[in-house]
Amino acid sequence: MKRILNYFSSGVEFIAASMLAAMFMTFLLQIFSRYVLQTPFGWTLEFCLILWVWIVFFGCAFLTREKDHVTFDIFYLAAPRRVRQAMALIACAALVIGMAWALPATWDYIDWMKIRKTTTVKNPFTGAKIPIRTIFSIYAIFMVAVILRYSWRFIDVIRNGPPDEDHELPGHGDDAI
Amino acid sequence: MSLELLVCLITLFGLAGIGAPIGYAIMIAAVAYLGLAGLDTALAGEKILQGLYKSFVLLAVPLFITAANIMNAGTISDRLLNFCIAAVGRFRGGLGHVNVMASLIFSGMSGSAVADAAGIGKIIIEMMSKDGRYSRGYAAAITAATATIGPIIPPSIPMVLYALVSNASIGALFLAGIVPGLVMGVVLMAMNAWISSRRGFAMEEPVPLRQLPKVTLNAFPALLMPVILLYGIYGGVTTPTEAAGVAAFYALILAAVFYRALSIKSLYRIFVESARSSAAVGVVIGGALILNFIIISENIPGIMSETLTDLDVHPLVFLFAVNLLVLFLGCVLDATTIILVIVPLFIPTCEALGIDLVHFGVLVVVNSMIGLITPPYGILLFVINAVTGIPLKEIIREVWAFLGILIAALIFMILVPDVVLWLPRVFGYQG
Repeated sequence: MKRILNYFSSGVEFIAASMLAAMFMTFLLQIFSRYVLQTPFGWTLEFCLILWVWIVFFGCAFLTREKDHVTFDIFYLAAPRRVRQAMALIACAALVIGMAWALPATWDYIDWMKIRKTTTVKNPFTGAKIPIRTIFSIYAIFMVAVILRYSWRFIDVIRNGPPDEDHELPGHGDDAI
Repeated sequence: MSLELLVCLITLFGLAGIGAPIGYAIMIAAVAYLGLAGLDTALAGEKILQGLYKSFVLLAVPLFITAANIMNAGTISDRLLNFCIAAVGRFRGGLGHVNVMASLIFSGMSGSAVADAAGIGKIIIEMMSKDGRYSRGYAAAITAATATIGPIIPPSIPMVLYALVSNASIGALFLAGIVPGLVMGVVLMAMNAWISSRRGFAMEEPVPLRQLPKVTLNAFPALLMPVILLYGIYGGVTTPTEAAGVAAFYALILAAVFYRALSIKSLYRIFVESARSSAAVGVVIGGALILNFIIISENIPGIMSETLTDLDVHPLVFLFAVNLLVLFLGCVLDATTIILVIVPLFIPTCEALGIDLVHFGVLVVVNSMIGLITPPYGILLFVINAVTGIPLKEIIREVWAFLGILIAALIFMILVPDVVLWLPRVFGYQG
């Protein structure tokens, strides 16, 4: 089980790193095509935006740990253990219920987006434009992942108490600023 | 206030208050709002997806994050530091000045205060507290204070976020940050000089002047980075977003080819970690997109703007009030949340009162950066505490003087808009 998890997380890291690297290269290619070749490739911009959407939601679904998120934990950290446990349970339950509530309607919307296609990016194998549904489907995957992750966390908090290592560094998550 | 809005706010503050990730808390609050208002709960996902998918500007965020991480991994910071020591180390309180100068230069390369503090800041704190020449609390405090300059001088991730919520020009915002950033550097140096002479801090062994060319040459390619970036943006070669890509590329070439300080393996880790941070910031940005939709459909900024114009509030009074609020919020909230969630409330009022949005943007970014070092909840204090192990109590005791002088600089910028707006106007900003 542990080995499968390890494989899974290194696979996830590899995909996320590749997407970011691909975005970076495409960006450079765009600058190159515009200023050196003087004939900008049309597809680069939209491709970067697709990758951006995927990096955010694929990342949040599988890559980010609890401690990577931007959180406000002054109250959490100041509370006694029993209260912390209750807080963590309420947070998990709310996230699971909220996401599950919005999931069916959100999937309807994403599915409906199959009628819309990308404007410039084409499938390299078939040459056809890609339905927006394919691109936005990562959001549905993200919602399902959040539901599963926080359901599991809920059980874990009941069993093992509040997970304090996630809040070791207060104000964590604002790294980018 | 409608019932659904009330529930939305209670859910948001309730969830965020008990430590749920802020981005998720906003999403859940938005779903609660939409559900109670009888709207389609899919609107939350729709606004988030469409918003992220459409805003080209946001691509700068992951690229600047990557650039900052690359620069911290290579030896770029060491070389810059040697250059700064040679240049200003000879004066009393030398390493304090070196600290300010290094932050000024480094801020012209990375858009992130935390990256500055964790990277170059950590090295310089070790140098300062070695042999007990400076108290470690002082070393940490001045490092935290100087790191706030990072996002003021372009490139800047917070300015990109502000541009997203205000529709102000990024090019103008970046230019507008340069003079205020230098002002902050000058006041911090003055404070350091004053404290150093009062406490009799040591001077550095002056680096012989004949070594200066060699040290400069060594740091030269790194020093060139801000020049390349600014020329790229204002010479019309690249858009500010593309400049983020160029910055990351230049840092990569410097670290990997020129200074040979970056292995494939460490580069891979940089991409993984940058993707992680980008996702964490991205989900808050997404949350802000739906929250702004709700705030606008409830016409909150409009109501605020009407009330305040009816009250005939003087623009200066308004600016001081908002800045006081942001400063206060900065003690408990982080900068991302303030800029994306709180600031949009005030934008229509600014427009109604005739306050320039670029001026306002620089003020709130400077202010929320000051918020990064205000106790009890200052992310820079925590980061330095985490990377150096210096107790928070010691850092906080020494940080007040710098906090005070930075607030004085902020007040100066509020009263004299030209400090902010002069440079963009020279480059043709109409405002």
